[in-house]
Amino acid sequence: MSVLELDAVHVRLGDAHVLRELTLSLDARTTAIIGENGSGKSTIARLVGGLVRATSGTVRVLGLDPVREAAELRRRVAVVFSNPDAQIVMPTVAEDVAFSLRRRNTSRSERVSAALDRFGLSALAERSSHELSGGQKQLLALCGAFVRDPELVIADEPTAYLDARNARRVADHLFSDGGHRLLLVTHDLDLARRCEQAVFVAGGDAVAVGDPADVVAEYERSLVW
Amino acid sequence: MTLYRPGDSVWHRLPAGPKTVILAVLVLAVSLLPLGWGWPAAAIPAVLCLGCYAVPAIGMRRLASQLFAARWIILVTLAGQLLFLGPTAAAVNTTRVAAVIVIAGLLSLTTRVTALLDAFERGLTPLERLHVDPRRVALLLAVTLNTLPVLARAAAQVREAQRARGVRPSLRLFAVPFLVLALKHADELGDTLTARGIR
Repeated sequence: MSVLELDAVHVRLGDAHVLRELTLSLDARTTAIIGENGSGKSTIARLVGGLVRATSGTVRVLGLDPVREAAELRRRVAVVFSNPDAQIVMPTVAEDVAFSLRRRNTSRSERVSAALDRFGLSALAERSSHELSGGQKQLLALCGAFVRDPELVIADEPTAYLDARNARRVADHLFSDGGHRLLLVTHDLDLARRCEQAVFVAGGDAVAVGDPADVVAEYERSLVW
Repeated sequence: MTLYRPGDSVWHRLPAGPKTVILAVLVLAVSLLPLGWGWPAAAIPAVLCLGCYAVPAIGMRRLASQLFAARWIILVTLAGQLLFLGPTAAAVNTTRVAAVIVIAGLLSLTTRVTALLDAFERGLTPLERLHVDPRRVALLLAVTLNTLPVLARAAAQVREAQRARGVRPSLRLFAVPFLVLALKHADELGDTLTARGIR
Protein backbone atom coordinates (compact mmCIF):
# COMPACT_ATOMS: atom_id res chain seq x y z
CA MET A 1 0.00 0.00 0.00
CA SER A 2 1.24 3.49 -0.83
CA VAL A 3 2.11 5.78 2.03
CA LEU A 4 0.85 8.76 0.13
CA GLU A 5 -1.02 9.37 -3.11
CA LEU A 6 -1.62 12.93 -4.26
CA ASP A 7 -3.49 13.44 -7.51
CA ALA A 8 -3.62 16.99 -8.95
CA VAL A 9 -3.76 18.46 -5.46
CA HIS A 10 -4.16 22.19 -5.24
CA VAL A 11 -3.99 24.05 -1.93
CA ARG A 12 -4.90 27.68 -1.70
CA LEU A 13 -4.45 29.53 1.60
CA GLY A 14 -5.94 33.00 1.34
CA ASP A 15 -4.60 34.46 -1.89
CA ALA A 16 -1.55 32.20 -1.97
CA HIS A 17 -1.47 29.07 -4.13
CA VAL A 18 0.72 26.95 -1.87
CA LEU A 19 0.49 23.66 -3.79
CA ARG A 20 -0.20 23.65 -7.55
CA GLU A 21 -1.74 20.56 -9.15
CA LEU A 22 0.72 18.36 -7.27
CA THR A 23 0.74 14.71 -8.24
CA LEU A 24 2.89 12.43 -6.15
CA SER A 25 3.04 8.79 -5.14
CA LEU A 26 5.29 7.72 -2.27
CA ASP A 27 5.77 4.18 -1.04
CA ALA A 28 9.22 4.06 0.57
CA ARG A 29 9.55 3.39 4.30
CA THR A 30 11.36 6.69 4.80
CA THR A 31 10.83 9.72 2.58
CA ALA A 32 12.39 13.18 2.87
CA ILE A 33 10.78 16.32 1.53
CA ILE A 34 13.24 19.13 0.90
CA GLY A 35 13.01 22.59 -0.57
CA GLU A 36 13.35 26.26 0.24
CA ASN A 37 11.24 28.14 2.77
CA GLY A 38 7.79 28.77 1.33
CA SER A 39 8.12 26.04 -1.30
CA GLY A 40 5.12 24.13 0.08
CA LYS A 41 6.86 21.24 1.83
CA SER A 42 5.34 21.92 5.25
CA THR A 43 1.93 22.22 3.59
CA ILE A 44 2.42 18.70 2.21
CA ALA A 45 3.14 17.49 5.75
CA ARG A 46 0.06 19.29 7.10
CA LEU A 47 -2.06 17.94 4.24
CA VAL A 48 -0.92 14.40 4.97
CA GLY A 49 -1.53 14.92 8.69
CA GLY A 50 -5.08 16.11 7.99
CA LEU A 51 -4.34 19.62 9.25
CA VAL A 52 -4.94 21.31 5.89
CA ARG A 53 -7.62 20.53 3.32
CA ALA A 54 -6.91 20.33 -0.38
CA THR A 55 -8.73 23.00 -2.38
CA SER A 56 -9.00 20.47 -5.20
CA GLY A 57 -7.56 17.09 -6.10
CA THR A 58 -7.41 13.77 -4.31
CA VAL A 59 -5.38 12.89 -1.23
CA ARG A 60 -4.89 9.37 0.11
CA VAL A 61 -2.74 8.65 3.16
CA LEU A 62 -2.24 4.94 3.88
CA GLY A 63 -5.27 4.51 1.63
CA LEU A 64 -7.39 6.87 3.78
CA ASP A 65 -9.13 10.11 2.91
CA PRO A 66 -7.76 12.57 5.54
CA VAL A 67 -11.06 14.50 5.64
CA ARG A 68 -13.70 11.75 5.54
CA GLU A 69 -11.68 9.24 7.54
CA ALA A 70 -10.05 11.70 9.93
CA ALA A 71 -10.57 9.61 13.08
CA GLU A 72 -8.94 6.55 11.52
CA LEU A 73 -6.11 8.74 10.21
CA ARG A 74 -5.45 10.12 13.72
CA ARG A 75 -5.25 6.57 15.03
CA ARG A 76 -2.67 5.49 12.47
CA VAL A 77 -0.68 8.67 11.83
CA ALA A 78 1.37 10.79 14.25
CA VAL A 79 2.73 14.26 13.57
CA VAL A 80 5.79 15.86 15.14
CA PHE A 81 6.41 19.59 14.69
CA SER A 82 9.53 21.70 14.97
CA ASN A 83 8.58 23.80 18.00
CA PRO A 84 8.77 21.56 21.07
CA ASP A 85 6.96 24.08 23.31
CA ALA A 86 3.81 23.96 21.22
CA GLN A 87 3.60 20.17 21.45
CA ILE A 88 3.33 19.91 25.21
CA VAL A 89 -0.22 19.60 26.46
CA MET A 90 0.17 18.28 29.99
CA PRO A 91 2.21 19.60 32.92
CA THR A 92 4.44 16.60 33.63
CA VAL A 93 6.42 14.37 31.29
CA ALA A 94 4.56 11.15 32.10
CA GLU A 95 1.17 12.84 31.88
CA ASP A 96 1.98 14.35 28.52
CA VAL A 97 2.88 10.94 27.10
CA ALA A 98 -0.25 9.41 28.68
CA PHE A 99 -2.36 12.13 27.04
CA SER A 100 -1.66 10.53 23.65
CA LEU A 101 -3.42 7.37 24.83
CA ARG A 102 -6.34 9.22 26.39
CA ARG A 103 -8.92 8.11 23.86
CA ARG A 104 -7.75 4.51 23.74
CA ASN A 105 -8.99 1.60 25.73
CA THR A 106 -5.57 0.40 26.63
CA SER A 107 -3.38 -0.09 29.67
CA ARG A 108 -1.91 3.38 29.77
CA SER A 109 0.71 3.18 32.52
CA GLU A 110 2.61 0.20 31.09
CA ARG A 111 2.79 1.68 27.62
CA VAL A 112 3.80 5.07 28.99
CA SER A 113 6.58 3.51 31.07
CA ALA A 114 7.85 1.54 28.10
CA ALA A 115 7.82 4.60 25.86
CA LEU A 116 9.58 6.79 28.44
CA ASP A 117 12.21 4.10 28.80
CA ARG A 118 12.70 3.85 25.06
CA PHE A 119 13.27 7.60 24.76
CA GLY A 120 15.50 7.84 27.84
CA LEU A 121 12.95 9.94 29.74
CA SER A 122 12.15 7.59 32.63
CA ALA A 123 14.19 9.61 35.11
CA LEU A 124 12.28 12.74 34.10
CA ALA A 125 8.80 11.18 34.29
CA GLU A 126 7.57 13.39 37.14
CA ARG A 127 9.38 16.54 36.03
CA SER A 128 7.52 19.58 34.76
CA SER A 129 7.37 19.35 30.96
CA HIS A 130 8.12 23.05 30.64
CA GLU A 131 11.31 22.81 32.67
CA LEU A 132 12.93 20.43 30.17
CA SER A 133 15.64 21.52 27.74
CA GLY A 134 14.71 21.97 24.08
CA GLY A 135 16.19 18.58 23.18
CA GLN A 136 14.35 16.83 26.00
CA LYS A 137 11.10 18.52 24.99
CA GLN A 138 11.47 17.31 21.43
CA LEU A 139 12.21 13.78 22.69
CA LEU A 140 9.03 14.10 24.76
CA ALA A 141 7.09 15.13 21.65
CA LEU A 142 8.48 12.08 19.82
CA CYS A 143 7.67 9.87 22.79
CA GLY A 144 4.08 11.20 22.75
CA ALA A 145 3.87 10.37 19.06
CA PHE A 146 5.49 6.93 19.20
CA VAL A 147 3.57 5.69 22.28
CA ARG A 148 0.56 5.30 19.99
CA ASP A 149 2.49 2.90 17.71
CA PRO A 150 1.66 4.88 14.57
CA GLU A 151 2.00 3.35 11.13
CA LEU A 152 3.20 6.67 9.73
CA VAL A 153 5.16 9.42 11.47
CA ILE A 154 5.16 12.84 9.84
CA ALA A 155 7.98 15.01 11.15
CA ASP A 156 8.04 18.65 10.09
CA GLU A 157 11.58 19.96 10.66
CA PRO A 158 11.88 18.07 13.96
CA THR A 159 15.52 19.04 14.48
CA ALA A 160 15.21 22.73 13.59
CA TYR A 161 15.50 23.98 17.20
CA LEU A 162 18.10 21.47 18.38
CA ASP A 163 21.87 21.32 18.81
CA ALA A 164 23.88 18.66 16.97
CA ARG A 165 23.78 16.07 19.76
CA ASN A 166 20.03 16.34 20.34
CA ALA A 167 19.34 16.52 16.61
CA ARG A 168 21.19 13.24 16.19
CA ARG A 169 19.26 11.60 19.06
CA VAL A 170 15.94 12.72 17.62
CA ALA A 171 16.93 11.57 14.13
CA ASP A 172 18.05 8.17 15.41
CA HIS A 173 14.64 7.64 16.98
CA LEU A 174 12.86 8.73 13.82
CA PHE A 175 14.92 6.36 11.69
CA SER A 176 14.74 3.46 14.15
CA ASP A 177 13.12 0.38 12.71
CA GLY A 178 10.02 0.38 14.89
CA GLY A 179 7.70 -0.77 12.14
CA HIS A 180 6.63 2.77 11.26
CA ARG A 181 7.00 4.71 8.04
CA LEU A 182 8.49 8.18 8.08
CA LEU A 183 7.68 11.31 6.10
CA LEU A 184 10.33 13.84 7.01
CA VAL A 185 10.24 17.51 6.04
CA THR A 186 13.71 18.88 6.57
CA HIS A 187 16.32 21.46 5.69
CA ASP A 188 19.03 19.09 6.92
CA LEU A 189 20.36 17.48 3.75
CA ASP A 190 22.30 14.85 5.69
CA LEU A 191 19.02 13.67 7.19
CA ALA A 192 17.43 13.70 3.74
CA ARG A 193 20.25 11.46 2.46
CA ARG A 194 19.46 8.92 5.21
CA CYS A 195 15.99 8.37 3.71
CA GLU A 196 15.13 5.76 1.08
CA GLN A 197 13.36 8.30 -1.11
CA ALA A 198 13.39 12.11 -1.42
CA VAL A 199 11.17 14.76 -2.96
CA PHE A 200 12.41 18.22 -3.95
CA VAL A 201 9.57 20.73 -3.79
CA ALA A 202 9.69 24.20 -5.37
CA GLY A 203 6.89 26.63 -6.09
CA GLY A 204 4.25 24.24 -4.78
CA ASP A 205 5.19 21.40 -7.11
CA ALA A 206 7.49 18.36 -6.97
CA VAL A 207 10.55 19.15 -9.05
CA ALA A 208 12.35 15.87 -8.44
CA VAL A 209 11.43 12.54 -6.83
CA GLY A 210 13.67 9.54 -6.37
CA ASP A 211 16.99 8.50 -4.93
CA PRO A 212 17.94 10.92 -2.12
CA ALA A 213 21.50 11.43 -3.39
CA ASP A 214 20.22 12.51 -6.82
CA VAL A 215 17.38 14.63 -5.45
CA VAL A 216 19.64 16.40 -2.93
CA ALA A 217 22.20 17.04 -5.70
CA GLU A 218 19.50 18.61 -7.85
CA TYR A 219 18.36 20.75 -4.93
CA GLU A 220 21.94 21.88 -4.31
CA ARG A 221 22.34 22.80 -7.97
CA SER A 222 19.23 24.95 -7.68
CA LEU A 223 20.88 26.88 -4.85
CA VAL A 224 23.77 28.09 -7.07
CA TRP A 225 23.28 31.73 -7.96
CA MET B 1 -0.63 26.89 40.66
CA THR B 2 1.36 24.20 42.45
CA LEU B 3 2.61 21.38 40.31
CA TYR B 4 1.86 17.78 41.22
CA ARG B 5 4.37 16.25 43.60
CA PRO B 6 4.39 12.45 43.70
CA GLY B 7 3.83 10.90 47.11
CA ASP B 8 1.88 8.41 49.18
CA SER B 9 -0.05 10.66 51.57
CA VAL B 10 -3.70 10.19 52.42
CA TRP B 11 -4.47 13.05 50.02
CA HIS B 12 -2.54 11.31 47.22
CA ARG B 13 -4.49 8.11 47.80
CA LEU B 14 -7.91 9.78 47.71
CA PRO B 15 -9.61 9.52 44.31
CA ALA B 16 -9.68 12.83 42.42
CA GLY B 17 -13.47 13.24 42.46
CA PRO B 18 -14.12 12.89 46.21
CA LYS B 19 -10.95 14.87 46.94
CA THR B 20 -12.18 17.76 44.79
CA VAL B 21 -15.51 17.74 46.63
CA ILE B 22 -13.89 17.60 50.10
CA LEU B 23 -11.47 20.43 49.32
CA ALA B 24 -14.22 22.51 47.69
CA VAL B 25 -16.37 22.12 50.82
CA LEU B 26 -13.44 23.15 53.05
CA VAL B 27 -12.70 26.18 50.85
CA LEU B 28 -16.37 27.16 50.87
CA ALA B 29 -16.60 26.74 54.65
CA VAL B 30 -13.54 28.94 55.20
CA SER B 31 -14.89 31.57 52.80
CA LEU B 32 -18.28 31.70 54.51
CA LEU B 33 -17.04 32.08 58.11
CA PRO B 34 -18.74 35.18 59.49
CA LEU B 35 -16.36 38.09 60.05
CA GLY B 36 -18.31 38.93 63.21
CA TRP B 37 -16.82 35.90 64.94
CA GLY B 38 -13.58 37.86 65.38
CA TRP B 39 -10.39 35.90 66.08
CA PRO B 40 -12.03 32.45 65.92
CA ALA B 41 -12.78 33.25 62.26
CA ALA B 42 -8.98 33.40 61.76
CA ALA B 43 -8.11 30.51 64.06
CA ILE B 44 -10.48 28.01 62.42
CA PRO B 45 -8.98 28.36 58.89
CA ALA B 46 -5.46 28.26 60.34
CA VAL B 47 -6.21 25.05 62.23
CA LEU B 48 -7.87 23.56 59.15
CA CYS B 49 -4.75 24.32 57.09
CA LEU B 50 -2.48 22.76 59.65
CA GLY B 51 -4.75 19.74 59.83
CA CYS B 52 -4.78 19.28 56.07
CA TYR B 53 -1.00 19.48 55.74
CA ALA B 54 -0.06 17.67 58.98
CA VAL B 55 -0.17 14.25 57.35
CA PRO B 56 2.75 11.97 56.52
CA ALA B 57 4.39 12.70 53.13
CA ILE B 58 3.02 16.27 52.99
CA GLY B 59 4.08 18.08 56.17
CA MET B 60 4.70 21.60 57.39
CA ARG B 61 7.58 22.29 55.00
CA ARG B 62 5.20 21.87 52.08
CA LEU B 63 2.72 24.20 53.78
CA ALA B 64 5.48 26.77 54.27
CA SER B 65 6.51 26.57 50.60
CA GLN B 66 2.87 26.94 49.50
CA LEU B 67 2.50 30.04 51.67
CA PHE B 68 5.79 31.42 50.34
CA ALA B 69 4.62 30.90 46.76
CA ALA B 70 1.47 32.90 47.56
CA ARG B 71 3.32 35.57 49.55
CA TRP B 72 2.55 38.49 47.24
CA ILE B 73 -1.17 37.79 47.18
CA ILE B 74 -1.13 37.47 50.97
CA LEU B 75 0.87 40.67 51.44
CA VAL B 76 -1.27 42.71 49.06
CA THR B 77 -4.44 41.43 50.75
CA LEU B 78 -3.04 42.24 54.18
CA ALA B 79 -1.98 45.76 53.16
CA GLY B 80 -5.34 46.59 51.61
CA GLN B 81 -7.31 45.24 54.54
CA LEU B 82 -5.11 47.01 57.10
CA LEU B 83 -5.63 50.27 55.28
CA PHE B 84 -9.40 50.08 55.06
CA LEU B 85 -10.65 47.71 57.78
CA GLY B 86 -8.21 47.76 60.68
CA PRO B 87 -5.95 45.08 62.21
CA THR B 88 -8.49 42.49 63.42
CA ALA B 89 -10.45 42.32 60.21
CA ALA B 90 -7.20 42.39 58.21
CA ALA B 91 -5.77 39.46 60.12
CA VAL B 92 -8.99 37.46 59.86
CA ASN B 93 -9.51 38.08 56.15
CA THR B 94 -5.86 37.56 55.22
CA THR B 95 -5.76 34.28 57.14
CA ARG B 96 -8.87 33.16 55.31
CA VAL B 97 -7.44 34.11 51.91
CA ALA B 98 -4.17 32.32 52.70
CA ALA B 99 -6.08 29.27 53.94
CA VAL B 100 -8.23 29.12 50.82
CA ILE B 101 -5.14 29.28 48.59
CA VAL B 102 -3.19 26.55 50.36
CA ILE B 103 -6.19 24.24 50.87
CA ALA B 104 -7.10 24.54 47.18
CA GLY B 105 -3.40 24.03 46.35
CA LEU B 106 -3.60 20.55 47.89
CA LEU B 107 -5.64 19.42 44.90
CA SER B 108 -2.98 20.13 42.28
CA LEU B 109 -0.21 19.18 44.71
CA THR B 110 -1.55 15.66 45.22
CA THR B 111 -3.49 14.92 42.03
CA ARG B 112 -2.20 14.20 38.55
CA VAL B 113 -3.81 16.38 35.90
CA THR B 114 -4.88 13.26 33.99
CA ALA B 115 -6.75 12.03 37.10
CA LEU B 116 -8.33 15.47 37.48
CA LEU B 117 -9.40 15.42 33.84
CA ASP B 118 -11.02 12.02 34.28
CA ALA B 119 -12.81 13.27 37.42
CA PHE B 120 -14.01 16.44 35.71
CA GLU B 121 -15.24 14.43 32.75
CA ARG B 122 -17.20 12.12 35.02
CA GLY B 123 -18.52 15.02 37.10
CA LEU B 124 -19.66 16.97 34.07
CA THR B 125 -21.30 14.01 32.33
CA PRO B 126 -24.86 15.04 33.42
CA LEU B 127 -24.33 18.29 31.49
CA GLU B 128 -24.25 16.29 28.25
CA ARG B 129 -28.05 16.65 28.24
CA LEU B 130 -27.49 20.39 27.87
CA HIS B 131 -25.14 19.73 24.91
CA VAL B 132 -22.03 20.45 27.02
CA ASP B 133 -19.13 18.16 26.03
CA PRO B 134 -17.41 17.17 29.33
CA ARG B 135 -14.25 16.04 27.54
CA ARG B 136 -13.92 19.38 25.88
CA VAL B 137 -14.42 21.30 29.14
CA ALA B 138 -11.91 19.12 30.99
CA LEU B 139 -9.36 19.50 28.22
CA LEU B 140 -9.90 23.25 28.15
CA LEU B 141 -9.04 23.42 31.85
CA ALA B 142 -5.89 21.34 31.41
CA VAL B 143 -4.69 23.29 28.38
CA THR B 144 -5.36 26.60 30.11
CA LEU B 145 -3.27 25.59 33.12
CA ASN B 146 -0.50 24.31 30.93
CA THR B 147 -0.40 27.38 28.72
CA LEU B 148 0.41 29.74 31.59
CA PRO B 149 4.16 28.94 31.74
CA VAL B 150 4.39 29.17 27.93
CA LEU B 151 2.84 32.64 27.94
CA ALA B 152 5.08 33.72 30.82
CA ARG B 153 8.10 32.64 28.78
CA ALA B 154 6.77 34.45 25.70
CA ALA B 155 6.38 37.64 27.75
CA ALA B 156 9.97 37.32 28.99
CA GLN B 157 11.19 36.78 25.40
CA VAL B 158 9.42 39.93 24.20
CA ARG B 159 10.90 42.00 27.04
CA GLU B 160 14.41 40.62 26.40
CA ALA B 161 14.17 41.24 22.64
CA GLN B 162 13.06 44.81 23.26
CA ARG B 163 15.83 45.43 25.80
CA ALA B 164 18.36 44.01 23.33
CA ARG B 165 17.21 46.56 20.77
CA GLY B 166 17.22 49.40 23.28
CA VAL B 167 13.44 49.86 23.26
CA ARG B 168 12.03 51.64 26.31
CA PRO B 169 9.34 49.59 28.06
CA SER B 170 5.80 50.49 27.05
CA LEU B 171 2.52 48.61 27.25
CA ARG B 172 1.70 49.13 23.57
CA LEU B 173 5.11 47.96 22.34
CA PHE B 174 4.89 44.94 24.63
CA ALA B 175 1.28 43.99 23.91
CA VAL B 176 1.48 43.68 20.12
CA PRO B 177 4.39 41.19 19.83
CA PHE B 178 3.14 39.33 22.90
CA LEU B 179 -0.28 38.95 21.33
CA VAL B 180 1.28 37.75 18.07
CA LEU B 181 3.34 35.13 19.95
CA ALA B 182 0.29 34.06 21.96
CA LEU B 183 -1.83 33.65 18.82
CA LYS B 184 0.99 31.76 17.06
CA HIS B 185 1.22 29.43 20.05
CA ALA B 186 -2.56 28.95 19.99
CA ASP B 187 -2.36 28.00 16.30
CA GLU B 188 0.46 25.52 16.87
CA LEU B 189 -1.22 24.05 19.94
CA GLY B 190 -4.42 23.61 17.92
CA ASP B 191 -2.45 21.64 15.33
CA THR B 192 -0.86 19.55 18.06
CA LEU B 193 -4.21 18.71 19.62
CA THR B 194 -5.66 17.82 16.23
CA ALA B 195 -2.64 15.67 15.42
CA ARG B 196 -3.01 13.91 18.78
CA GLY B 197 -6.57 12.97 18.02
CA ILE B 198 -8.50 15.79 19.71
CA ARG B 199 -11.09 17.45 17.50
